[in-house]
Amino acid sequence: MNLTLTHLFAILPLIIVGITVVVVMLSAAWRRHHFLNATLTVIGLNLALASVVWVYFAGQGAVAPDLASSAVGFPTLVTPLVMIDGYALFYMALILVAALACSTLANAYLEGLDEHREEFYLLLLSSTMGAMLLVSSIHMVSLFLGLELMSVALYGMAAYTFKRRVSLESGIKYMVLSAVASSFLLFGMALLYAAYGTLEFASLGLRLVFEDSVGIWTLIGVGMMVIGLGFKLSIVPFHMWTPDVYEGAPAPVSAFLATVSKVAVFAVLVRFMIMSPTFDTKLHTVIAVLAALSMIVGNLLALGQTNLKRLLGYSSIAHLGYLLSAVVALRAGVTDGGGELSFTGQLVLETTGIYLATYVLTTLGAFGVVTLVSSPSRGQDVAQLHHFRGLFWRRPYLAVILTFMMLSLAGIPMTAGFIGKFYVLALNMNEELWWLAGTVVLGSAIGLYYYLRVMVSLYLAEPGEIQRDAAHDWGQRSGGVMVLIAALLTLLFGIYPQPLIDLVQAASPVGY
Amino acid sequence: MIAQYWAVTIFVLATLALLVFMIGAASVLGGRAWGHEKNTPFESGILGAGSAHIRFSAKFYLVAMLFVIFDIEALYLFAWAVSVREVGWEGLIGAAVFIFILLAGLVYDARMGALDWAPKQRRASGRHESF
Amino acid sequence: MNLLFLVTLFPLLGAVLLACFRRMPVNLAAIIGVGSMGLAALTTAWLGLAFFAADQTPYVQHLWNWVAVGDFRLGFDYRLDGLSLTMLGVITGVGFLIHLFASWYMREDLKDQTGYLYTRFFCYMNLFVFSMLVLVLGDNLMLMFLGWEGVGLCSYLLIGYYYRGEANAWAAFKAFIITRVGDVFLAIGMFLIWVQFGTLDIQTILIEAPSVLAEGALLTEVTALMLLGGAVGKSAQLPLQTWLADAMAGPTPVSALIHAATMVTAGVYLIARTHVLFELAPFTLELVGVIGMVTLLVAGFSALAQTDIKRVLAYSTMSQIGYMFLALGVQAYDAAIFHLMIHAFFKALLFLASGSVIIACHHEQNIFKMGGLAKQIPLAYACFLVGGAALAALPIVTAGFYSKDEILWLSFASGHTVLWLGALFGAFMTSVYTFRMIFVVFHGKANLHAHAPQGIAHHLPLVVLMVLSTFVGALITPPLAGVLPELEIDAGHATQIAVEVLAAIVAIVGVGIAAGLFLGRRRLMTSLVESEQGGRVWRFLHSAFGFDTLYDRLFVKPYLLVARLHRVDWIDALINLFPGLAKLANYGLSASQNGQMRGYAATFVLGATIVVAALVLG
Repeated sequence: MNLTLTHLFAILPLIIVGITVVVVMLSAAWRRHHFLNATLTVIGLNLALASVVWVYFAGQGAVAPDLASSAVGFPTLVTPLVMIDGYALFYMALILVAALACSTLANAYLEGLDEHREEFYLLLLSSTMGAMLLVSSIHMVSLFLGLELMSVALYGMAAYTFKRRVSLESGIKYMVLSAVASSFLLFGMALLYAAYGTLEFASLGLRLVFEDSVGIWTLIGVGMMVIGLGFKLSIVPFHMWTPDVYEGAPAPVSAFLATVSKVAVFAVLVRFMIMSPTFDTKLHTVIAVLAALSMIVGNLLALGQTNLKRLLGYSSIAHLGYLLSAVVALRAGVTDGGGELSFTGQLVLETTGIYLATYVLTTLGAFGVVTLVSSPSRGQDVAQLHHFRGLFWRRPYLAVILTFMMLSLAGIPMTAGFIGKFYVLALNMNEELWWLAGTVVLGSAIGLYYYLRVMVSLYLAEPGEIQRDAAHDWGQRSGGVMVLIAALLTLLFGIYPQPLIDLVQAASPVGY
Repeated sequence: MIAQYWAVTIFVLATLALLVFMIGAASVLGGRAWGHEKNTPFESGILGAGSAHIRFSAKFYLVAMLFVIFDIEALYLFAWAVSVREVGWEGLIGAAVFIFILLAGLVYDARMGALDWAPKQRRASGRHESF
Repeated sequence: MNLLFLVTLFPLLGAVLLACFRRMPVNLAAIIGVGSMGLAALTTAWLGLAFFAADQTPYVQHLWNWVAVGDFRLGFDYRLDGLSLTMLGVITGVGFLIHLFASWYMREDLKDQTGYLYTRFFCYMNLFVFSMLVLVLGDNLMLMFLGWEGVGLCSYLLIGYYYRGEANAWAAFKAFIITRVGDVFLAIGMFLIWVQFGTLDIQTILIEAPSVLAEGALLTEVTALMLLGGAVGKSAQLPLQTWLADAMAGPTPVSALIHAATMVTAGVYLIARTHVLFELAPFTLELVGVIGMVTLLVAGFSALAQTDIKRVLAYSTMSQIGYMFLALGVQAYDAAIFHLMIHAFFKALLFLASGSVIIACHHEQNIFKMGGLAKQIPLAYACFLVGGAALAALPIVTAGFYSKDEILWLSFASGHTVLWLGALFGAFMTSVYTFRMIFVVFHGKANLHAHAPQGIAHHLPLVVLMVLSTFVGALITPPLAGVLPELEIDAGHATQIAVEVLAAIVAIVGVGIAAGLFLGRRRLMTSLVESEQGGRVWRFLHSAFGFDTLYDRLFVKPYLLVARLHRVDWIDALINLFPGLAKLANYGLSASQNGQMRGYAATFVLGATIVVAALVLG
């Protein structure tokens, strides 16, 4: 296949981010200037975001010749590795938004560092590019490439403030354990390749569909891939790294880790499961058990937690557990037999999109407040709960925003988190996964306790407490604005989710 | 299930058995000698001087890494070189982009002082900022 | 007629305005508070004219659908008929006068206070009037219940109006909780009616009752009994009467409006409204009369031994409502409602006059510390004389004579001899305690210096109510013909005159005895009270037959005991098991997060092994 301009046009967002990486690198080499580099990064990400929108609308009209079957979107296959379709573009947009938010947060956060502030954007951009590649990959190779590009940059980001021991420790832990997980992933791929001689999701799916019973090596292969990806998603029992890394890494990096990397990996997992469906009850039972374990263990671990970053880490374990039940719902595939998307498939895609979008918004808001309150110049990141005690009386807006984010994480109505949780429950009900639905409810009930605990401590007043404050001009800082926007969007989608639902419905993957 | 994959099972078991046999037989059959000298590393009869825990300068690793990076990436150019006629202009543009990115990396490394051998403190004038 | 909603709208608007702008100046608050009542009274007058012009046909105004769930439909409907018009007149008319008086009284009362107490007072008062109007106008039981609860709430708020005094807060609690007991009965009654009728629409219930309910059947009796329970609680009748005397902790205009003229008569209204149900339950109906008689006697005796001027009036209120219940019990509904109206006039007069006395005496409420006030505050004296005469039903000139003697006569004529005798004795008691109060307060040696109150807002209500308490008030005939059945009696005219003369004589004798005992130096009474036996009796009467102590032993103490037993809440402990388990699991799991990477890696590999094993072997 020859690369034509159509193809280059389709991967414009990737190209723009790639160019930005080089530009920022040269700019950093030319002159160390924090604001300049941050601006370049933000411009690049914004351009990429704009190009995503442009590609989407331009593609609507001109359907690429090779895959002209779909009703919505304009799937463009760029080499066998990358598929630019509505699904990819939606998650790219989500990733870019999250990356933008993280870079604005990082801007506020890095002000407190003495030196080498510029390389952070380099890493962030590389990681973002990896994530974007991941969501558009339909091939084992691009999957692995994207995953590693994203992860390797993330190790550096986690250890970025290496003068803080915890940061360095978190980076090393993440790297070593990640390497183990990657080896599982690779081995899984190798087994599948050995069995079917292909690395493409689609042709793998074709082979799988025509098989009477799934072979043991296939099962192990898929299982190992799930393990490898499950590590990145911090699914129990592959979750152990999560709290340590979330706590040790700088707050904006934790935000990035909790949003971009989760979104990208989950999106590619769902795409893989859709394109290469393994109709085996055992596999889906195992995934269901992992999901249930994540919900329960994640929430239980968070109960007594006093460090807000760790708490959010545990909470992300639970949230990915809720989300994983969407993968369980894929046990019967997404088609209705006639090649059309079945109701279940539609629901799975909607659940994934909406849950991830709302989760990203909420997590960004929560980590945003943590970032704004903490600053590396004061040594430790300020994330202990008692630092946030009585925040309301000092920084009412920040406290209200954090309260709102906690409510959203808990899935209280009027917040976006409720819509997401509602979808998950609806999906479980529709699939008659009663016990899993019960576990979702149980997990949410446990979760409410620690979310409320955070909220309560925001409004307590404790005289004589060490006062940790956000810089007084937080509202002027872009980070403050970002947090505010996240809160408003959370509220908006909580009350009027229709635009988000429409957006997700338009973002269906190739072929459906 | 295991019956279906008996060959694999036998392979695994045979491997394990071989390992056990090799270590077990050696420890049973071989003679043993005890002594202080037995615990020193064997360096072709020469006595070791000092501990093996020497702290190398990080520069060695840095240079090694840079070598690996640029060397490996240069390998891709071979692939282009052998097919330069076939891929034509498009290939040339692609290779140019690739080389440009490598070059940008090299410029960056140079500016960061990654290629300076001596640490910053020992240099007379700090021409470059580095970390 | 379609202005009916306005009569409730004005007080509501007043309450909302006063609640929203509590910083408004005192004068403005008075204008809004009293003005809204004035407008409501004018509307009522207009409605009355229209009602008579329309030949007394009942009128229903449908405002909006309140509840619509499946078959269950409730409208926000007002019904204007003779009964509700009578109540409307009492509530808005007397209510307006009391509001007017209150604008003076509260200003005097709150002289040294800061804050926005004045606005708060009128806000509650207007809200009360609104609720009371909803109660009497509501065309279905649910709407009536809304008003019923609304007046209970306002009563609570106003009794506890001086909430800084702890005793006042407790009095408010007491009133609220005891009336709540009655309300629960009422609610159960409504449930029972819903079950049997499938509707809460009062008119439908009244029409269908004879076909739906079997006369004298257990369920019918229980239904009526439950309604009676609600009525008894609200109207402070035995056995739920204990709250009313303590309710005097509120400002005096509140006592006049809520705890004499309007709210406490809601029970009478309820029974009159649903009289068909009671007629189908003869036992309960009989019980209504008996409760009325017992209450009026108990309250009469208690009033004899009170020293607080307001408590005397409170017990007299209980006893007068006892008369109304008695009248209801002998099916003399229109007599009950007539007495309700007349009682509203003279009891409001008495309370307002007592308020005037209290202010004049610088917040002194003990009658034995007053005395000889007749010359210092002649207007209040006149009010007390007229009101007291009406209360004691002195013949010919007072309004009370016409209403109360009708009850006495009808109870005699309908053959309830025991009730009649009790009522007659009660009438005697009434004149004794009433004039005891008047003689003690206004005659004898002057103990303190009183200053005569001034101002139109003070004089006008008193004068108007004074006029209404004379035979002039008795000229008003409530238009009840179409709503409540008339009692048919077959006794002769001569007998009636004999009975009425007897009643009149009893009342006058009572006054005479009171004069003998309490005019002059009261030597006899002093020696009586100071003797051991007499003192015991006095204390017994003073504590109103010891009901408070009895209830304290019977209900409050055991309740507190049960509450104390539940302090170690075992159900809660059972539920707390789950959080405990969660906490335990949290400890266990947190221990695994020890920060050791080898442990993490081991867990990872172990987990992966189990997953793969499950896939292979499962």
